[in-house]
Amino acid sequence: MVRSSRYVAIVALVLFLVSACAPSSQAPSTAAAGSTINVMSLWGGSEQDSFQKVLDAFKTKTGVTATYESIRQDYATTLQTRIASGKPPDIAIIPGIGFLRQFARQGSLKKVGDLGIDANALKPNYPPGILEVGQVDGNQYAIMVKFNSKSTFWYRPDKFKTMSMTPAKDWDSFTKQLADIKAKGQTPLGLGAGDSWTLTDWFEEIYLRQTGGPDKYDQLFSGKLPWTDPTVAATVDAMKAALNDNNVAGGIKAALGRNFTDGIGQAFSTNPTAVLYYEGGFVGGIATGQTNTALKVGDTIDWFDFPANKFSNSVEIGGDVIAAFTTKPGVKEFMQYMTTADAGSVWAGTGAVLSPIKAVPASVYPNDLAKREAAQVSGATAVRFDGSDLLPSGGGDDMGAALQDAIQGKTVDWAKFETAMQAKWKAEK
Amino acid sequence: MSALAETMAGSRPRTPAARAVAALNHSVVHVFLALVAVIWLVPTLGLLVTSYRPRSDIQATGWWDIVDLRLTLENYRLVLDSQGMLHAFMNTVFIAVPSTLLPLAICSLAAYAFSWVRFPFRDTLFLIVVTFLLVPVQVAFIPLLTLFRDVLPDLDLTGGFVAIWLAHTAFALPFGIFLLRNFFITLPPDMIEAARLDGASDWRVFRQIVIPVSVPAIAAYGIFQFLWVWNDLLMALVFVQDNKNFPMTRAIQNLLSQYGTEWHLLAAGAFLLMVVPLIVFFSLQRYFVQGLLAGSIK
Amino acid sequence: MGLAPTPAVPQERPIRASTKAARRARGPEKSNYGSAILFLLPAGVLLIVFLLYPTLYTILLSFNRGRNGVFGTWVGLDNYTRLFSDPDFLNLGTFPPSGALWNNVLWIIFYTSTVIALGLVISVIAARVRYEALIKAVVFVPMAIAATALAVIWKFVYAPDVNIGLLNALLSVFAISPISWLGDQAVVNAALIAVGVWGSVGFATVILSAAVKSIPNEIIESARVEGASERAVFFRIIIPMVSLPISVLAVTLIVNVIKLFDLIYVMTAGGPGTASRVIAFTMYQQAFQAGQYGYGSAVAVVMLIVLIPIIVFNVRRFRTQAVT
Repeated sequence: MVRSSRYVAIVALVLFLVSACAPSSQAPSTAAAGSTINVMSLWGGSEQDSFQKVLDAFKTKTGVTATYESIRQDYATTLQTRIASGKPPDIAIIPGIGFLRQFARQGSLKKVGDLGIDANALKPNYPPGILEVGQVDGNQYAIMVKFNSKSTFWYRPDKFKTMSMTPAKDWDSFTKQLADIKAKGQTPLGLGAGDSWTLTDWFEEIYLRQTGGPDKYDQLFSGKLPWTDPTVAATVDAMKAALNDNNVAGGIKAALGRNFTDGIGQAFSTNPTAVLYYEGGFVGGIATGQTNTALKVGDTIDWFDFPANKFSNSVEIGGDVIAAFTTKPGVKEFMQYMTTADAGSVWAGTGAVLSPIKAVPASVYPNDLAKREAAQVSGATAVRFDGSDLLPSGGGDDMGAALQDAIQGKTVDWAKFETAMQAKWKAEK
Repeated sequence: MSALAETMAGSRPRTPAARAVAALNHSVVHVFLALVAVIWLVPTLGLLVTSYRPRSDIQATGWWDIVDLRLTLENYRLVLDSQGMLHAFMNTVFIAVPSTLLPLAICSLAAYAFSWVRFPFRDTLFLIVVTFLLVPVQVAFIPLLTLFRDVLPDLDLTGGFVAIWLAHTAFALPFGIFLLRNFFITLPPDMIEAARLDGASDWRVFRQIVIPVSVPAIAAYGIFQFLWVWNDLLMALVFVQDNKNFPMTRAIQNLLSQYGTEWHLLAAGAFLLMVVPLIVFFSLQRYFVQGLLAGSIK
Repeated sequence: MGLAPTPAVPQERPIRASTKAARRARGPEKSNYGSAILFLLPAGVLLIVFLLYPTLYTILLSFNRGRNGVFGTWVGLDNYTRLFSDPDFLNLGTFPPSGALWNNVLWIIFYTSTVIALGLVISVIAARVRYEALIKAVVFVPMAIAATALAVIWKFVYAPDVNIGLLNALLSVFAISPISWLGDQAVVNAALIAVGVWGSVGFATVILSAAVKSIPNEIIESARVEGASERAVFFRIIIPMVSLPISVLAVTLIVNVIKLFDLIYVMTAGGPGTASRVIAFTMYQQAFQAGQYGYGSAVAVVMLIVLIPIIVFNVRRFRTQAVT
């Protein structure tokens, strides 16, 4: 009798210990719970608020506090200086792939594998080509966490209706349409060329979809195709056919002093002076949230596919990748979290971003604009990352400056540009 | 008016015609100087007025539109509070004060040695200090950051203010030592000799004779250095890495790139940066100018 | 230009120290090592660690790849050849040339001459009126203002919108269309130099005013007595007699042009494109954006080399003073 009751007690004790040690599904329960990491990126304002939701969800799930630090300007310089002083952030989320390469080759970044994450296991989570964006010299250093389509051309459906027009589908009808709009007394385009990257986006779209195609695009933005190739000059000419004093509200010179949010305002503010504005999917959020809260999707604001169709099922995206500088406790957990459909859904649900994670359902997107944008990208035959972000440090700025010169009518010395660009590629190695 | 000014004003005109010409000359002078005053005052005043105007007004009309002048303190409240400029102001003070006191102390000590202490190679060493006057601060950035990162990581120098205090102090040394040494040398040698004959050590001579007599020069240098550090941006860009510690110059630079056209914030922020230097300037102009002249012209 | 540039050239010192009493007072004949070390130690340590060591390090690093700021691959003169063939740094291929180094040259020529000319003219003319001190104070105020704040003031003045920017508003009065002062490559450098001049004229005025006032009255008066005109007095007497302070001032201004950074960084960040860059900006950008530490060190060394003639000049001047 005594033996059996002792036996029961032992079994009970063992059972009790086992159950006490089993992971609870409610409380945060990772090994890193309680630690704090810092995450740096470029967003502020409403974009920052949206991202904070992701950080909050992360804390609930793992118990790790991730504090956000915003670097609104010159993020690469801030990061590089912090690296130089030995105090990088734990994690950074950046759009510049050229800078990713720079930091990786310096040895400042941790490979995803070094953190204990299996890059191969991540493959099925993403559409083809997405993971490659975050690879440097064959190693996975970063993972894309959000993106926007850059092949969205924004317009005023109400104004188009008044003019009895529908958005053009190919480049030639587009340039013709610009003239038609002018004939009807409206100025077609808004432009914020003071932010030279908007011009690089124009260039990349036309190059990808009309004059160069996906393969040449890859070569051009990896330093394999020289900028003296005739496709480059052809693209610039096409740009000038759209972007000139006739078509741009206020003229080119004024556009060069205007930043892109004011450019959005030209088409979408309460005192609009234009009916079209080209930039990526994020325009919707800025226009409706900041520029003019009275805008109505489908009525006073909407987008159509960038009107170039020689290679029309190619879509350009701009995105941000996440990379780790340290191996502090909590870093691995955060990187992993950002690859889950969970995190993707929380973020995409705010309407601020599109998630590259396949498992995020289209239903989480809160509005039509975002849903269509996601569909545009998932339906594309070729997806390419923003070219100027692929160039080495300083390359994007140089490209923007060259295009600013071009639309003013100055001749761009592409040979000199190519030499300078090659020097940058070489310095990166 | 000095005799020079009088003679420069020309000899007394005799005839009415000459008088008229002189009067014209003189009014040209006044017009020219008025123009100068306008050019040198208007830009700053324009920003000052703007800093008190509501945001919507700033975007709609220029500050010269005095018809509808509405003033508000809202911009200052915004910039101090939600934009963190008050915090940045304190950071600027935390950086500027030690970066002034340390150089003052160290330069005075070294300058005394170069003036009134005999030791071999004194003049050669002073020459080397003079050479460093022109070394640009850019040559030091990379080695210092690497030093702080690789050799002294535990001290976390760039995480706080220590790195920038030391950097400002070190870079102030050549000019400070040069200036103060040139001043100390002009002190009457008999005074110092007398103290020495009385048996005073160098330290006592320094503390009780040289310093008290040199207060104006030291004050002038101190003011100069204080304003230099207060207004600095580059050293703060390199040596202050934690954004909790950013001084106002960096905070405004951030504002400018973030809110490039939010003039209501920028104007208020810029004036907060300017307030202390302007007060120092207007109240201590004498010392300030002295500091400049001492280095350039007797 | 923000705050007063540190005067670059040491001045003559009175030769009091050569009297016997002075020599004796400057310490006993035998060396006082103890005192020397005590008084010089703090300065010495700081100078060695923060100035001497870094200068040598940077010079050596400029011959290296310098990845992560440490000595890695030796590259010899590669960084220098790359620097001088980089069109953003120096482009002699076009006329007029362009590039960061060229911009510094523009600044040296136009900024220096304009500041000195204006400083001289203002100090001479202001001397004729009773409110001279007021004028000098007004012109001097920008010296107390940080380059960052100057940048904000003038970005505001240069704003392209006629409802905001003072200059463009003035132009619109004359029915001239707005100019993008900081966004147009053709005018940006002129616009920036104008701001620099605005900031530094006060410095020149104060110095030159003191210099002009130190001209002995007899010389001017005797010239007048002999019938010299205003102009002749100005050009034939005043200018030659202040040529020394002018040259000192010029050297100071030139040194400041080489070190120029804050204003450019805040107003245009070297833009549009790279049109308004200067060498100090290139150094910062290469080291702290592109992570090219060896290359950035080469730029710093070029800055040093450009300043060497002035350093030598300084040292020579100092040597000619009587020092015991």
